[in-house]
Amino acid sequence: MIITLGHYLALSSVLFTIGAAGFLYRRNALVALMSIELMLNAVNLTLVAANRWLPAVQGDAGTVSPPAPSGHVFAFFVIAVAAAEAAVGLAIVLSFYRLRKTVRTDAADMLRG
Amino acid sequence: MNLVLLLSPILIPTVGALVLMMLDAFQKEDGGLAMPTALLHFTAAAMALALWQRGVPSDTSALHGFLAIDKTSLFLDATIALGGGIASLLAGGYLAEHKLDRGEYYPLIAFSTAGAMLLVSASDMLMLFLGLETMSLGVYAMTGFRRGSPRSAEASLKYFLLGSFAAALMLFGSALLYAVTGHTDYAGIAEVLHAAPANAAADAAAAIQVVTRSRISILAMLLIVIAMAFKVGAVPFHMWTPDAYEGAPTSTMAYMSSVVKAAAFGAFARVMLAVYGDAASAGSAAGWPAMLAWVAVATMTVGNLVALTQTSVKRMLAYSSIAHAGYVLLGVIAAPREGTGTTAYASVLFYLLAYTVSNMGAVGALILAGRRGAESVSYDDLAGYARRHPAAGFAMTLFLLSLTGVPPTVGFFAKFYVIRATLDAGYTALALIAVVNSAVSAYYYLGVLVKMYMRDPAPGAALASPMRSGYVTVAILTAAVFVVWMGVMPERWLDLAREAVGAATAAAPSAATAGGNAAP
Repeated sequence: MIITLGHYLALSSVLFTIGAAGFLYRRNALVALMSIELMLNAVNLTLVAANRWLPAVQGDAGTVSPPAPSGHVFAFFVIAVAAAEAAVGLAIVLSFYRLRKTVRTDAADMLRG
Repeated sequence: MNLVLLLSPILIPTVGALVLMMLDAFQKEDGGLAMPTALLHFTAAAMALALWQRGVPSDTSALHGFLAIDKTSLFLDATIALGGGIASLLAGGYLAEHKLDRGEYYPLIAFSTAGAMLLVSASDMLMLFLGLETMSLGVYAMTGFRRGSPRSAEASLKYFLLGSFAAALMLFGSALLYAVTGHTDYAGIAEVLHAAPANAAADAAAAIQVVTRSRISILAMLLIVIAMAFKVGAVPFHMWTPDAYEGAPTSTMAYMSSVVKAAAFGAFARVMLAVYGDAASAGSAAGWPAMLAWVAVATMTVGNLVALTQTSVKRMLAYSSIAHAGYVLLGVIAAPREGTGTTAYASVLFYLLAYTVSNMGAVGALILAGRRGAESVSYDDLAGYARRHPAAGFAMTLFLLSLTGVPPTVGFFAKFYVIRATLDAGYTALALIAVVNSAVSAYYYLGVLVKMYMRDPAPGAALASPMRSGYVTVAILTAAVFVVWMGVMPERWLDLAREAVGAATAAAPSAATAGGNAAP
């Protein structure tokens, strides 16, 4: 079987859907954080695979150069920002836990109306 | 032009935030950072204006298509910086009064402002993502700033989880666009997406590819629209808004409801017009404007109806900010229309500036009415307030009238221009719904005035009295100057917004030709 870009897109769509479903159906803040990470990794997979399958750039003088690595670079940025996001997110979950002794999101019910 | 000069509106808050962090680390006691932070923001606004005056160079190739520094982004930069400056002044009064005055708040504001400016200048999916996250991460932390309060922690948890989810949706949309076009910049994506499929008919394989591409690009558009709807708090993605606003410290609420909203709308309008501004995607029958029209109707109606039932003024302002997001959406819907689109886009910018100053002022007046241990957040807290304290009561009145849309305050003209643009674009029903909604909203805004002027406080209830703070007074005066100034000469400000939009289309010819939108 020849693996094509379509296979990678299908895989990353499945990963993304699992992440989104986990985010929407699980009531634990830490699981929600992990689900978001899974969604971001699906994004990274898409970016890197898409960059790999970009056609080479045909130069004027018949030279062929590899495509710009913008997908790879994008993936690095996503990884870095995801780390920052996890740091802020864990701090928020921790401060919530300190005050309420739980990380369940259905315990977050003081604000409503 | 010098790259540093070109980027100065973004660089000033970025470098300033680093300096503020050092100042905070080395000063002996907390407090005192509000004024430097506010000055930083006002300097950034002044730099944006100076660049505007000097004329933005047409050759911005040094930015490599990552950022679009044009008059649109400069207008929004100035709006954001003005809002951020007022928010820092409010924080200076609010945090000190409520014993929250820890120095890390101010670098967070400055970083968020830098992120917001990056967001509105972005012309590349990567920059859009970076700006969005830089802005949001700071605001998440500012929302949970009242560390001992479970409500504050809950607000930031909800805001963080839904905000990150929205960011992930937007990212997947961008990644899909990259997969089908091979570009991350708006112009490049639009060029590939809207390239005429000339040889497609001849080549069956290519035709299939074109179909797949357009399907995936529609999926990507849906993901990006949903993510942006989350960020601006549009129905049905608004659930987090009232909770996050209510639980957050009030100075953070001022920032979130004005600056963050303005930045998200600026980026939303730009990405939709640049990437999906073509006739097929933006045509009125089946394109995104028709989809957004339903969102706008739901946003205005739900925001206003739920605001009617609130007993807390803070939560009422949160729902009112949802309703205002609905009005702004009207302008975004009308923006891709050929001919009248430019004015519609300009009315969006005008609305964002008008809402920023009006809302900032209203929240500021609410901050002014609360003392330590006795924050006035409910309607009942404010009973008789304006009779006891005429000046403070008048400030609240002015801003609430502006939010209602009573002339000669700026709020009236903001709504008027947006609704006129909606009519010009042919969405008569939408315009009617907006007018009815605006009338409904008068009930809850004027409810505050009735409480303040005509009701006596319940016997034994704590009497609200204004706090003494130079910071808050200056912030409210600044907002009031803009509310009155823009209300007295609205045409001049609208012309500025028009100029801002005209420059945008000239600076991005590929987007304009691909979209056929907003051609002057």
